[in-house]
Amino acid sequence: MNHPLGASISGEDDMEQHRSLTSSQMAWFRFRSNPSSIIGAFIVLSVIFVAIFAPLIAPSPQSAGSFVDFMNRHSPPSRDFLFGTDNVGRDIFTRVIFGYRVSLGLVVGVLGFAVPFGVFLGLLAGYFGNWTEFVIMRFTDIMLAIPPLAMALAITAVLSPNLINAMIAITMLWWTWHTRLIYRIVKAQMNEDYVEAARVAGASHFHIMFRELLPNCISAISVKISLDAGFVILFGAALSFLGLGVQPPTPDLGTMVSTGSEYLPEYWWEALMPGLAILYAILGFNLLGDGLRDMMDVEV
Amino acid sequence: MEDNILDVRNLNISFSNYGKTSKVLRDVSINVSRGERVSLIGQSGSGKTVTMRAIIGTLPTPPAIIESGEILYENQNLLALNRIERNKIKGSGISIILQDPLLSFNPVLTILRQMEDIIKYSDIRIGISRGHEGRKKLITETLRKVQLSDYERILNSYPIMLSGGMRQRVLIGMALLNNPKLLIADEPGTALDVTTQKEILDLLNSLVKDEGLSLLFITHNLGVVREMADRIYVMQNGKIVETNSRENIFKKPKHQYTIKLMESVPPLFGDKVIDVKNTNSEVDEIISVANLNKSFPIRTGFFNRITSQNHAVKSVNLTINSGDIYGIAGESGSGKTTIAKILLGLYGATSGTVKINKLNLAEQAELKSYRKLIQIVYQNPGSSLNRKRTVSQILSVPLKFSGYSNTMIKDRVNELLQMVDLPVSYSSMYPHELSGGQKQRVAIARALSLEPKIIVLDEPTSALDVLIQGTVINLLHKLKKQLGLTYIFISHDLSLMRNFCNKIAIMFKGEICEAGNTKDIFSNPKHLYTKALISSIPVISDKEESLKPKVTYEERSAVLQNTRKI
Repeated sequence: MNHPLGASISGEDDMEQHRSLTSSQMAWFRFRSNPSSIIGAFIVLSVIFVAIFAPLIAPSPQSAGSFVDFMNRHSPPSRDFLFGTDNVGRDIFTRVIFGYRVSLGLVVGVLGFAVPFGVFLGLLAGYFGNWTEFVIMRFTDIMLAIPPLAMALAITAVLSPNLINAMIAITMLWWTWHTRLIYRIVKAQMNEDYVEAARVAGASHFHIMFRELLPNCISAISVKISLDAGFVILFGAALSFLGLGVQPPTPDLGTMVSTGSEYLPEYWWEALMPGLAILYAILGFNLLGDGLRDMMDVEV
Repeated sequence: MEDNILDVRNLNISFSNYGKTSKVLRDVSINVSRGERVSLIGQSGSGKTVTMRAIIGTLPTPPAIIESGEILYENQNLLALNRIERNKIKGSGISIILQDPLLSFNPVLTILRQMEDIIKYSDIRIGISRGHEGRKKLITETLRKVQLSDYERILNSYPIMLSGGMRQRVLIGMALLNNPKLLIADEPGTALDVTTQKEILDLLNSLVKDEGLSLLFITHNLGVVREMADRIYVMQNGKIVETNSRENIFKKPKHQYTIKLMESVPPLFGDKVIDVKNTNSEVDEIISVANLNKSFPIRTGFFNRITSQNHAVKSVNLTINSGDIYGIAGESGSGKTTIAKILLGLYGATSGTVKINKLNLAEQAELKSYRKLIQIVYQNPGSSLNRKRTVSQILSVPLKFSGYSNTMIKDRVNELLQMVDLPVSYSSMYPHELSGGQKQRVAIARALSLEPKIIVLDEPTSALDVLIQGTVINLLHKLKKQLGLTYIFISHDLSLMRNFCNKIAIMFKGEICEAGNTKDIFSNPKHLYTKALISSIPVISDKEESLKPKVTYEERSAVLQNTRKI
């Protein structure tokens, strides 16, 4: 039966399919129209590429280890040694490329633990509210109040200073930012009717948290990860610079800046080149993160 | 014509977005004479707001491109003026009243400060100076024009301290501060309750008369247009499809679109009204609510102590039979949604008994079987559908949690889509790829998925255009007949309820002030509030207007919130 009220109107009015761009097409358009994000993506891809294929790309792979070539020590940048050599004659360019491996390993290790943990706590706090929220968020606040460098100093002093322990120290502090980010997003999403609709449909807490709310956090998480990556590299380099991170002879950008700085200003390339390498990677991740943020239209 | 205060000639505007250019306005011509009230009516997306923004010069370019056309204000082409010259006309020549009275204010500044700023900056533009006292004098004079008293208190208030109706009055006052000649109103009052909206429209009408203003009124509501216009432009897809005097448009609309619009407005009185009856052969009580109370604690001050209680629902009694379409009407904050949420088992009641299907609600609310008894369709499908999930994922949630296997879910999803007249291929789409009406169909399909007996419809059509509203109502009737459903229809749109519900309860401040058969309530309203409510509804014919109950201003103010005084 057609109800008389609607009978005069054809059902076609809202049947016309929308021929607009899909959201991924629009996002790609926004990303593409921002040159700095393209540059950022290029830089990040180049860093990842050289880190993966380091042994194939590096001009003298033996320089990555405890190799000594006193004939060529402190030689300035030249065609043979693109970035010059260090105090024992190792090729700095090679060591920078291998240094990226360590840095990216650190990023993957830290964010691999910190992000899922932080996101999970943020979801819990935002979804359940009340006491769960109080306990989680106040604990997060406490962790945020600890100065990161002091924490890392304490941990590496108790355990021994090496890459794994540096990673643990950074991870223990890094999750807090993700918890706060996700908590804020989930709190806002809880006002949307779809959460209540899922509850009325009989959905479990697990379903609502991970199938309904989490997909709405993904874009913010990916932007945050991209911006984080740069800072993790910087923080890892800072720890190594202080001698708390990666130990020689493993090539690490922070350690290289540290040892190179002893020969400033005559042998400037020994500190400057690894420093520029750090700058390059961080710049890349930050530009990419900004681009992603514009593209997905989220606030982090 | 010499006497046109505003003359828009062949305006063409397009938008360039994501590398694509789409035409938004095509050859739009509008003119407003001195002292005339002109209405521009059209559905959302028809281009009426773009027209308005082009006239006042707030159209962002890019993405907008003004391709051709002229906007003449007092025979001066606005599009040819530079920014400074154009700004001089703002406020003192053309002024605007925006739709949302809360969003149009800065929440952290007092009303006085915001009104003073307007005068200050327009004084600078025009090049006169006056002191604080002079500004304040002008402000109080203007507030008197918009029938506000109690100036001191209003001026020292922050926007949030005023009621919606008062905010709208202040907003109109702000538009009048610099004695404009042309007032553009973009759906004023739509965000307000119907009784408040009526007061605002009356105010605008008297202002136009007393101050000799010209009015360009933008709206989607035909009923409002009838009260607000001497001449009407009907807009569809960026084109003016019909223009004529009010009488001619309403008596003999010519364009097909205008006719469609007219027919889609549910009549309030007259022969065209549909009396819905409960067609079930066996009628038994499916919901009975006795003495229901619900209060929410208000926490303030130190340590969030409970300082008082907000009584959202007070001693409500309801009986709903199977097969009923039971309307619960009332203004925002009257407690109608709270009742719905209690029925769905989302809130516990403070006191009272609720029996659904002859069982106490408290005993069954947590059971899975309860979800198969009662479901809900929300007001805004944009919010009730998760935008990161496809249609089939959305529809499968209730099924998954009531034990359907994966293959059964797939079949059922297709079946549901067919039930709500959507193509099966839509199951892989995301909500944003669908139109508003289609989204609401998906929401209805989700509510149907567990074959419930009762569906709560929480203003299911208020976010939709009036043309789409008809198709959704149609669908709801079809489904009711097919599946033997009982509807609880929550709304503030009384003319729609008149034609859709067989029973209706009017809620006022948490209480049901009147309930019964829809026909009886509308033909013979007993409670003063019901009378005031029905008399405020904008209708589209003089005949209906004359059939409305008559309520004097004193009677109205006895039951309604006063929007003139704090």
